[in-house]
Amino acid sequence: MLLTLDLNDPRPLHEQIAEAVRRAIALGDVRPGDRLPPARDLAAALGVNANTALRALRELRDEGVLEFRRGRGVSVLRVPEPREVLRDRVVALLEEAERYGYGVDEVVDIVRELAEAKEGR
Amino acid sequence: MNVRRWYIPIAIVWTVLVPVLATAAPVPLLDRLPDPLATHWGPAGRPDDASPYWLDALILVLMWAAIAAVPLYRLIRGDALRRRHDRGWMCAVLAGGGVFTLALQAMTILANLDRAHWRDAAPIGIGTLLAVFGAAALAGAAAWALARIGPDEEEPATERPPRPLRPLRSGERAVWVSSATAGWAVATGAGLLVLAVLLGVVIPAAPEYRITLAASTGVSALVLLALSGVRVQVTARGLAVAFGPLRWPRRRIPLDRIDRAFVQQRWPFDVGGWGYRVRPGGSTVMIRGGECLVVRYGSGRELAVSVDDAERGAALLNSLVAERDNDRS
Repeated sequence: MLLTLDLNDPRPLHEQIAEAVRRAIALGDVRPGDRLPPARDLAAALGVNANTALRALRELRDEGVLEFRRGRGVSVLRVPEPREVLRDRVVALLEEAERYGYGVDEVVDIVRELAEAKEGR
Repeated sequence: MNVRRWYIPIAIVWTVLVPVLATAAPVPLLDRLPDPLATHWGPAGRPDDASPYWLDALILVLMWAAIAAVPLYRLIRGDALRRRHDRGWMCAVLAGGGVFTLALQAMTILANLDRAHWRDAAPIGIGTLLAVFGAAALAGAAAWALARIGPDEEEPATERPPRPLRPLRSGERAVWVSSATAGWAVATGAGLLVLAVLLGVVIPAAPEYRITLAASTGVSALVLLALSGVRVQVTARGLAVAFGPLRWPRRRIPLDRIDRAFVQQRWPFDVGGWGYRVRPGGSTVMIRGGECLVVRYGSGRELAVSVDDAERGAALLNSLVAERDNDRS
């Protein structure tokens, strides 16, 4: 499973990891029924504490995306809605914008500008 | 005329001929053989076990099937035909194994011929055994030499460059985590572990005997469990391969040593079995046949690891390598 984290992302690490896993599932990297690598291995690869990775997986379990089973590890229960995944990214974007002193309206303006430029091409 | 086209018919005819000859040739002699006939000889060379003729024949055929299956399959599939080295070995196993099967049957029949009871069968000494093994070795060597006839082709390019990942944004960190498990090894290892405990506790025998038995079974169980799976990570530091549930032993290949990565299909009988296999030109961590992540070092050597989802791992390694080379230039 391929996970990407953004080093500029101001959100807590466990949220970022949860988002990365959610995105990997939404993109079809891992399918429902597939087993996820143990939290311990994810943590080692990402260079974070095992508890942080576990916390991220627990969040996804509470959302109904993952399933924890004794002896069988963590597996994918359902594919998250693309909307949920996008929402995560937008939240991250808004938080970063806030750090530069930009509000929601300015971000929406940028998005609209970019979308128009793309359509115009 | 393509000389290779001769190999497959000869191999098939030989594979069929050996069991037919071994089981049918003694049939006219059946009334001169005891029933059951001696089929096993003790260390002193005296017959110590007997079975009816049909059982002896069946065991022989099964033994031959076990010997011939892999070489015949590889010759027919074609990959072993193309390379002189592999072709030689496969032909040597077929010829040597076939002669061994036939010689074993001849030895059994001759020892039993014209005896009233299997206990009266002729003793089998070291000389006879040497003759059987010698004949097999000679046949194998001859086939190996003969199989050198024909072209020696490079292995077909089964290596597949991975589809590149989308470029990572600056400040983005990507890692890849995957694994491979051999279910049969986990089950067998766990079973052996239970057996080791039972052997150590339950069986009525002298303590030192029990301890030896339990310890050797336990050690084989642990070795099997350690080789029952791998966990593989690709990070900015490079590739890390850890064995078994304890993630030990672990091997790290720093990114600096890696030239490029790709995906290749490899099978246990291509690399010489399961576990950590070393061959000229590189080594393979073989847990299960199929998709392998292969890294090529700057030195030209390769390390392959059988692992699921190898393509994404190879793609990430390649993009990390490209990033590294960009930073240097």
